[in-house]
Amino acid sequence: MEIPLTPTSSSNRRAGNSAGQPGNLSQERSRWGLLFVSPFFLLFAIFGLFPLLFSMVLSFSDWNGRGTINIIGLNNIDLLIHDPIFWQSMLNGLWIFVVYTPIQIMLSLGLAVVLNSKRVRGFRLFRTIIFMPYITNMVAAGFVFQLLMNTRSGLFNQILGVFSIQGVPWLDTPFMARISLVILVLWAWIGYHMIIMLAGLQTIPQDLNEAATVDGATALQVFFRITIPLMRPVILFSLVLSTIGSFNLFTELVSLFPGTAGSGPLNSTLTPGLYIFNQGFGNFRFGYASAVAYMYFIIVFVIVLIERRFLGRDNT
Amino acid sequence: MSKYLKIGLIVIVVLLLGSVAYAQDTLSGTITLWGWSYDSMSETGLIDAFEAEHPNVNVEIVVYPAGDTYQNLQLACSAGQGAPDVVQIENSNLAGFVALDGCLTDITDHVQPMLADFNAYKWSDAELDGRYYAVPWDSGPVVFYYRQDIFAQAGLPTDSASVSELVSTWDNYLTVCTTIMQTTGHTCFANSTATNNGRLFEIALWQQGLGYYDENGAVTVDSAENVATLEKLGEFWAAGVTSEAQPWTDSWYAELGGTGPDSTATLVEASWMGVFLKTWIAADIPGSWGVAYMPAFAEGQVRAANDGGSTLSIPAESDNKDAALAFIDFMLAQPQNQITQFAFNDFLPALETTYTDPIFSQPDAFFGDQTPRLIYLDVARQIPAANIYGRYYSLMNGHVATAIQQYSTGALSAQDALTQAADAIRTETELQ
Repeated sequence: MEIPLTPTSSSNRRAGNSAGQPGNLSQERSRWGLLFVSPFFLLFAIFGLFPLLFSMVLSFSDWNGRGTINIIGLNNIDLLIHDPIFWQSMLNGLWIFVVYTPIQIMLSLGLAVVLNSKRVRGFRLFRTIIFMPYITNMVAAGFVFQLLMNTRSGLFNQILGVFSIQGVPWLDTPFMARISLVILVLWAWIGYHMIIMLAGLQTIPQDLNEAATVDGATALQVFFRITIPLMRPVILFSLVLSTIGSFNLFTELVSLFPGTAGSGPLNSTLTPGLYIFNQGFGNFRFGYASAVAYMYFIIVFVIVLIERRFLGRDNT
Repeated sequence: MSKYLKIGLIVIVVLLLGSVAYAQDTLSGTITLWGWSYDSMSETGLIDAFEAEHPNVNVEIVVYPAGDTYQNLQLACSAGQGAPDVVQIENSNLAGFVALDGCLTDITDHVQPMLADFNAYKWSDAELDGRYYAVPWDSGPVVFYYRQDIFAQAGLPTDSASVSELVSTWDNYLTVCTTIMQTTGHTCFANSTATNNGRLFEIALWQQGLGYYDENGAVTVDSAENVATLEKLGEFWAAGVTSEAQPWTDSWYAELGGTGPDSTATLVEASWMGVFLKTWIAADIPGSWGVAYMPAFAEGQVRAANDGGSTLSIPAESDNKDAALAFIDFMLAQPQNQITQFAFNDFLPALETTYTDPIFSQPDAFFGDQTPRLIYLDVARQIPAANIYGRYYSLMNGHVATAIQQYSTGALSAQDALTQAADAIRTETELQ
């Protein structure tokens, strides 16, 4: 039997024809195609789909990670609705989302526009520098930020001290802890979003801008009337990613607030993602953790739907 | 040809004889250990000694910090595979794993004869329905660490006996703290407000024999005594003598090991803290720290509590349980080997048959030639039983820490904060 190594190549097509069985060609080709894509589906079924469904079953149980799974109906949902810490974690996520996302989108879009221009000297170097934090290990970065933001001896407060400004309790009060977290997340993720925006900008046909300029549009008008509308799908993508990211922060928290295992002062930085982990792996409440996961999924899903409604293509 | 045959036969006979000689020791194979303080065994040659005693056994240490040890053990127990042969578990987390059905090996028959040799309170977390699942390693007798240089600067006595007398109660402790603050500007101890982890509160409860629940499974987090205890800690916050440093962070180490104005004067913590001060946190300032008895909650009451302390267990999935058990026996139940470890790291053995060893009365140069080990020992003998650890410790500690944060930042009264925590614990656990 002949094994077609490259089913789409012309030599193979000819080989198939010469065999005189043109009907088999598409079948055989799709069989090989299925084989080639099957690793993904296989892995997804084991590591994606199965946990998803298993976790759904667990969300109706009080499983502690070992032994029989007792179904307890909607008890977890009842607990969840009356769990102030879960709702605080949702509010924390929302707070971070509301403060972080607009800054992130404006900054990354702004930087992308500036660095998209070939007139900026050394634009490649700047792109690299801005992207660098994204590939930096977050555990190490969090540790360094924790040192920088130390109230008594951190560099930030020492710099403020030079200007006789009183030290800021960066990591010690609920409000400042969230602000500091947003600073760290911005630092870490701005480069990634800037690259997405850059890719989006480069898909905008140059002649549109030129035509507008010929018609007498100023640079600002071009930006707001042409760039932004055309960038809508890209901005939406970036927005959805940061929405999910805000509620799902984990490594950033654990490395910036090690003393409270990521929860921060008065649980002010506890996100649903971290709460799920704490309930499951800290308190052995896998059933409850799964219920939290599904509730949190539904809420974030709704938020993303709303975002699509306002920014999606259908609405233009 | 026959020559080679003869040689071959001789070799076979020798091998057979050799295996007969080894057959006296039936243990073989590799045992894997998970945990974080095996250096007291590897650095002191105890692992080598064990391997020499059991030549067919090979010991492999996998170092995980406590949190990682628990998560990996949890996963291994859920998955039913991948567990090590021996695992280190702190008393605070032990009951949770004991309650995890079939996660740890039942070693009741083995430990029954040696129950009386160990600190009685150490067994309570290892036991469920009369069956035992772990062997105690070290105890965590809480003592009063103080900076002799700062005490001298504040015009206070610096010898251990006088300091013990000086801080006889938490009220007197507050007076001492205020004096230090006023005369030297140094904070008295670290007890952060918005990021409190509840450990000092637990120590203060433990010394009074209080806790989070009682024998009948009723939640006592918001009992009148607990509220009074939290309010006592509140007096220190109100007086402004504490620092905000969070335990096990860089600023905490700087406060404990530095000589600048930021350094802090005292620390109420278990004896295992001694080795951390000595070997790295305060290694640069030998002779500065001293050890005395922790304050009593009220005059004449107990001046002893426990914080932390570990045990060794054998996961049910281990396929080399006999060797694992021999290892645990060798390290924890043989007095001389416990003493060897104690000499290395000051983790006070839970094995009481070691307590007559001359090592306890040896002066310690790091603590200015005081004899802190005598204090550790005396405290260990007085630790009352308290229901703080247990199956739901991690969950309870989380809620209580939040309550302390709410109280210390002025968001709620001590009573309201603890009642809120107690209600949450009642909702989320079987405790009522």
